[in-house]
Amino acid sequence: MPEQIIFKREEDMPYLPITFGSMAGNKTGTWRYLRPKFENKISPCNEGCPAGQDIEGAMVLIGKGKILQAWDLFKEENPFPAVCGRVCFHPCESSCNRGEFDEAVSINALERFMADMASRQGRKPLVKREKRKEKAAIVGSGPAGLTCAYHLARLGYGVTVFEALPVLGGMLRVGIPEYRLPKKVLEEEIDQILELGVKAEVKFRLGKDFVMNDLKEYQAIFLAMGNHQSKSLGIPGEDTQGIMSGLEFLKNVNLGKAVPLGKKVAVIGGGNTAIDAARSVLRLGSKPFILYRRTREEMPAFLGEILEAEEEGIEISYLVSPVRVISENGKVSRLECLKNRLGPADEDGRRRPVEIKGSNFVVEVDQVIAAIGEEADLSPLPKKLGLKESAVLTDERGATKQKGVFAGGDIIQQPRTVVHAIGSGKRAAIFIDCFLKKKKWEGLFEAIRIGEQGSLSAKRYLQAEDERISLTSKTVRLKDLNLDYFDYKKRKKMPKAQVAKRVGSFEEVNQGYAEETAVAEAKRCFNCGVCNLCDNCYIYCPDVAIVKQGEDEPNVIDYDHCKGCGVCVEECPRDAMVMEEERR
Amino acid sequence: MKKIMVGNHAVSWGVMLARAEVISAYPITPQTTIVEELSVLCADGRLKAKFIPVESEHSAMACCVGAAAAGVRTFTATSGQGLALMHEMLHWASGARLPIVMATVNRALGSPWNIWGEQTDSLSQRDTGWLQLYCESNQEVLDTVIQAFKIAEEISLPVMLNLDAFFLSHTAEPVEIPEQSLVDGFLPPYQPEFRLDPKNPHSFGCMTPPEYYMEFRYKIQQSMLQGKVVAQQADDAFGRVFGRKYGLIEPYRCEGADLILITSGAIASTARVVVDNLREKGRKVGMVKIRLFRPFPKEELLEILCRVEKVAVVDRNVSFGVGGIFAHEMRAALCNEKVRPAIFSYIAGLGGRDVTPQVLNDVIYQTYKRQEPEAQSVWVGMRS
Repeated sequence: MPEQIIFKREEDMPYLPITFGSMAGNKTGTWRYLRPKFENKISPCNEGCPAGQDIEGAMVLIGKGKILQAWDLFKEENPFPAVCGRVCFHPCESSCNRGEFDEAVSINALERFMADMASRQGRKPLVKREKRKEKAAIVGSGPAGLTCAYHLARLGYGVTVFEALPVLGGMLRVGIPEYRLPKKVLEEEIDQILELGVKAEVKFRLGKDFVMNDLKEYQAIFLAMGNHQSKSLGIPGEDTQGIMSGLEFLKNVNLGKAVPLGKKVAVIGGGNTAIDAARSVLRLGSKPFILYRRTREEMPAFLGEILEAEEEGIEISYLVSPVRVISENGKVSRLECLKNRLGPADEDGRRRPVEIKGSNFVVEVDQVIAAIGEEADLSPLPKKLGLKESAVLTDERGATKQKGVFAGGDIIQQPRTVVHAIGSGKRAAIFIDCFLKKKKWEGLFEAIRIGEQGSLSAKRYLQAEDERISLTSKTVRLKDLNLDYFDYKKRKKMPKAQVAKRVGSFEEVNQGYAEETAVAEAKRCFNCGVCNLCDNCYIYCPDVAIVKQGEDEPNVIDYDHCKGCGVCVEECPRDAMVMEEERR
Repeated sequence: MKKIMVGNHAVSWGVMLARAEVISAYPITPQTTIVEELSVLCADGRLKAKFIPVESEHSAMACCVGAAAAGVRTFTATSGQGLALMHEMLHWASGARLPIVMATVNRALGSPWNIWGEQTDSLSQRDTGWLQLYCESNQEVLDTVIQAFKIAEEISLPVMLNLDAFFLSHTAEPVEIPEQSLVDGFLPPYQPEFRLDPKNPHSFGCMTPPEYYMEFRYKIQQSMLQGKVVAQQADDAFGRVFGRKYGLIEPYRCEGADLILITSGAIASTARVVVDNLREKGRKVGMVKIRLFRPFPKEELLEILCRVEKVAVVDRNVSFGVGGIFAHEMRAALCNEKVRPAIFSYIAGLGGRDVTPQVLNDVIYQTYKRQEPEAQSVWVGMRS
């Protein structure tokens, strides 16, 4: 206790009750029956990202102008931020709490922004760990295969990627048009993977150039061949000249082959391939129109892409199914179609089209592009892997029934998106590492998962147990935030190429943020569930029991003096603090 | 410069001229336009103050307590129920010796709801250690705000100035706006002896054991009594600079009076007219306006009243079970005097009811007629 000051007389006392010695000896912490605690939680964007990127963390860094560090953070999880920043359907933004408040943070555009800046500045991903003697084979060089290769290489393994096509990148390379994903952007990120020592064998097709048994020298195999087989229309005249699949069309365009189209091009289907094909047709100087058998509500293509297609003047006819190809001189000339109405919903919840009898009509076409879906070619795979309905069965690690063989990307049962493919590639790399090191993997999920939707963190996997910041499984929702601290702010728009310039050119449509815009947009982030040192706790604590440390160091609570009033927790804008019962 | 302004804006302009640095308030009818005007003055930069909107009057006063402890000039305003909600923090402000100034627009308390004028709200707070001043005109309101800061900072106690709901708060009158430079000369920046300062940490209002607590209370009582002297000096000084002074009490035509009407606030201006009329008719009637209620100006009153037979106190307030509060205070103040007037107590104008010249004439007539005061306060202007 501090020295006690004795006043003999009333006149000696100050006019107001004030201390002159230190009150630190008065350990008011003993009054406490609840204690506040800093506790980071899951932000919904991080949970919503199948690639497990620390989006919230990157937003903080971009907000501080530390763009390259933000990129480093993304690169710890995903080798493809420049790709994803352009083509991802950004489930992070659909999960963003800001979406319920005003508008979601423009995460996708920011991902692209930091990747573009890293590219301009020649930034490279952080170095890999020590070399290991084991080797892994990866079949397929799409986003799943290359992500797995990237993480395995960073873990020190020797990796060889086998690719059937003459170029690397899978669907990213041959399925997505240049105006959405420029080749040089993709190539740069692939080169960064190869620079880690990943070997690539192109024009090397499983089932034709080699079989599974030829991979004996590899201790682990990752299968990610993708869905490169187009479904057929199943109508008379389908094999006439002038009919091709959407995938084949896009592949030819992407590989720089000449594709004669004629004037009027009918694109059949409502998925992303159909939209990509139609928009590519427009750029090649022909006039595309889309025929889709259901309505816009049921279209599986990303809304943004549909809107851009409409912006470019591409006509979409709904509730139309082709029934017959009519040819002239051995070449397609007309397409007979039927009108549909919507019937009851089928198993995926979308309403099924029902043909209207006698509604037949004919449209004139020079070319038909059928883009009604793709599937995997699993014929080269042995049955013992575990196959079902054109998919490879895997467990929660991405492992097949055959020891040491893992699978990912579009050939397993998961949503067929780039970012899900990337997530599955990373997951496989993590569990291949466990498999090769004979590490126990039970319990690992709890330590490295980000939320409840299956995202895993490679960064957390690489961290030692005591290095990992503790993270509860709670995902922060809008209701958990103290919204008094946030102002309404519209999200920043990304500039786009003018519609007139898009026709006849494969120039990229979206043109990226300027740095100033990006920093302002990143600052819109609520940082849900993660302390960003806003210091509200420090400001509000009536007992000065929040202690600030060095710059960027976390605040700590002085439990000797914290009375447990809970003001800090109440005033934390982002649910990064909790009260818990005091245990004595 | 003269401006036509309502009483509430006279408060706001007084606060601006006094250069208050922190204002925290919660709106309540009929006080609202005070803080509305202040928020405008803050927003357009004429008043460089931090305006802190809060969710209750309790918080408003808590905010003022914090700001004043940090050593800045602090103001708030409220009314009726709002003041009642503030009650706990009022004690704290005086106990912590913080010179906060507050304007109370006197409003009747519910239930039943009533937004009109009555003084029971502020008089219910008479034991909280705040000085209390009651104003009669919008000019007096503006001038009293400036004086209030002067008094408060001199004796380290909070000051409440009171104005009648609507009769003053929402009624426009010409008001002379003092020169800022003169106000600055009259009221220099607040420089407290102690202030919250992270570089020089002290604990304020810490736990004080029985061995010391009583002395702190004694000091408050001493300062409160000193407040009367300081208030008089401030008023005198104000008069020298600005040519207007109000006194702690104001006797009006009391020369040779046999009956003196005592009242406060806006009723005083009606009383002046009544007194003038009766004087014209040869009646020896005078009026005393009580401006300072806490500390109670006993000596000043005694000096006027000792020569008078009868005093009629008109209270726009009531302490249930006792009666008019000013009358009650008068009796208590004078009971030990050998020569003292008979004190007649009247209650009038509760909940905003008009106190007309007829009502005051009736008060005077009844006081003349009766030999002795009634045992209880007489309610006048009732429905009959």
